Amino acid sequence: MAVISHIFRDVTYRGREGQIAFMLHRVTGAGVFLFLTLHIVNTFLMVFPAHVFNSVLVFYHAFVFKLVIIFGLYLGLLYHALNGIRIVIVDFVPGAARYQAPLWRIQVVIFLAVYVPTAAILLARML
Amino acid sequence: MQTRPYARSRPAGSFELYAWLFTRISAVILAGMAVFHLLYMHLGMGVEAVSWQLVAWRWQNPVWRVFDLFLLTFGWLHGANGMRIVIEDYVRPKGWRLAAKVGLLLLTFTLIVLGAYVIFTFKA
Repeated sequence: MAVISHIFRDVTYRGREGQIAFMLHRVTGAGVFLFLTLHIVNTFLMVFPAHVFNSVLVFYHAFVFKLVIIFGLYLGLLYHALNGIRIVIVDFVPGAARYQAPLWRIQVVIFLAVYVPTAAILLARML
Repeated sequence: MQTRPYARSRPAGSFELYAWLFTRISAVILAGMAVFHLLYMHLGMGVEAVSWQLVAWRWQNPVWRVFDLFLLTFGWLHGANGMRIVIEDYVRPKGWRLAAKVGLLLLTFTLIVLGAYVIFTFKA
């Protein structure tokens, strides 16, 4: 119970756009970081003969992994990138901090406008 | 306006200030480069086409090597610095915190050396 109330308090602390944006930024950042670890190691395999690198790439070509890329990595990376730009604007443009919440809403609209069509194309490619 | 107790604002110390500034400068660069890289490989090339042979062909052009080296160093350092902040926020016991940070530093050193090595020395 204590755990549940702790999580609930963490999720609802101050709440609203600012905290949702903050939580999503951390989760997506950690996710991209995790993928990057894997990605650097798999790229390093280029030093070995072609079949070593290509046998690992079979993993990337798997159906489930493509879904993970579209709904995990791409979603996370794009959100993190756009929210990061919002943070830079809030930090460096005088007076922008007051508009962090509407800026986040605008950012979500831009995110959807970019993500939905490109993700749809990526999905269509899989079929 | 009341100051928020837990939010980090622009730090005063020298290292923290540079880390803060680096995060923001690299953020703007990476937002373009990393998203471009993902869409180029998955939408432009198609992930099915990616193979040792394709990467070898791509690395014949030094511009791609420089591009990849930039992504490697800026991307990793940006991410590692972010993870450092996350460790400081959530790993409270002093010993564990130090261990996590040392581990992160070792991982940073290892992966940048591995990545830079293959980008610089690769011959098809």
